[in-house]
Amino acid sequence: MGNVVTMHCRQGMSDEDRLVAVASGDRGAFRALFESFAPRVKSYLMRLGAVSAIAEDLAQDAMVQVWRKAGTYDPARARASTWIFVIARNAWIDRLRRERVELAYQAASDPEPEAMEAPDDAVARAQTEAQVAAALGVLSEEQKQVIRLSFFEDKPHSEIAETLALPLGTVKSRLRLALMKLRAHWEGLA
Amino acid sequence: MTPAHHPSDDILAAYAAGALDPGFGLVVGAHIEMCAACRRRLSAFEAASGEALAALPAAALAADAFAQTLSRLDAIQAPAPVIDRRPLIERLPLAKKKWIAPGVWVSAVMTPHAKDNRVYVLHVGPGKPTARHTHAGAEFCTVLKGAYRDELGLFQAGDFAAADDALEHQPKVAGDEACVCLFATEGRLKAKGALGRLAFAYADV
Repeated sequence: MGNVVTMHCRQGMSDEDRLVAVASGDRGAFRALFESFAPRVKSYLMRLGAVSAIAEDLAQDAMVQVWRKAGTYDPARARASTWIFVIARNAWIDRLRRERVELAYQAASDPEPEAMEAPDDAVARAQTEAQVAAALGVLSEEQKQVIRLSFFEDKPHSEIAETLALPLGTVKSRLRLALMKLRAHWEGLA
Repeated sequence: MTPAHHPSDDILAAYAAGALDPGFGLVVGAHIEMCAACRRRLSAFEAASGEALAALPAAALAADAFAQTLSRLDAIQAPAPVIDRRPLIERLPLAKKKWIAPGVWVSAVMTPHAKDNRVYVLHVGPGKPTARHTHAGAEFCTVLKGAYRDELGLFQAGDFAAADDALEHQPKVAGDEACVCLFATEGRLKAKGALGRLAFAYADV
């Protein structure tokens, strides 16, 4: 009976709630996050050029890190999708570094070293999350799709135009417009 | 000092998405370490990337992917790496310096992953000229120390510059301190003039 109640509650949980639950060792919440994010992380890594087996291994590795680092997740600072994305991206960069190049390079965006972040950065980041949500709301679905295709699918503008059945000039100007709208929000932050 | 020259939105978005070549990413990362404004901009792009991730189509995982992952949860963890807080210039794995002229040296950053990309540190002493040159492809630069001036303006510590094959410039060190820059270039630089070509060939830039 208790299980039924737990399952029921879990279905109404946001990903942010799930991450917080994972921090206290909730494997059910972890499974739910795994099922929604691991296949997408694999998909993202394959778009960056990882072959299927490496992408699978890295996606699992990223989810292991999600489990281990969940205690450092603060829902006031980042949405779950952002936090998991950064872990996956850094896992990719770390793999490039380990296999092919030894750079003593610490990305400033690494979510781990809390201490590395100045206190005002932490505040700025929290504000940014809320304002990015607002900024993204300003973009039309089409504009978001253009950004998604450019940076996540790494398609040339000509292919994006084809995918969206738009003239090439329109894609370029939509992308520019989308970036300009976002920029107006960032300038408000600076 | 607050940098005055920043990466453009498309460069920062590609960096946030993990889509830049590692050598070029390193140069952008060097700027971001020194620029609070770009750390904020980067957060915005990471949030947009998180949203894009959630919207991607799901790839098929191995049938036992979750079980495999669970079995990895209890594996012994490697100790967390110690964060190296020295300035970037001291953390870079640099090859032996190649002296090109008194006060001028180049040192490659090892990047065997990207054969066509050259990543290097250039040190130019105060008052030393550099050769006028154009670029065969993209070039990213972050000033680590000192300052230089070219046709595009004054670039000081922390400033970022992106050039492409349309730019011909002759940077000159500004001020009385040596200027140290981190570069990533795609293809080779093309010097104007025989002496410059010889120096560039020797420096392998």
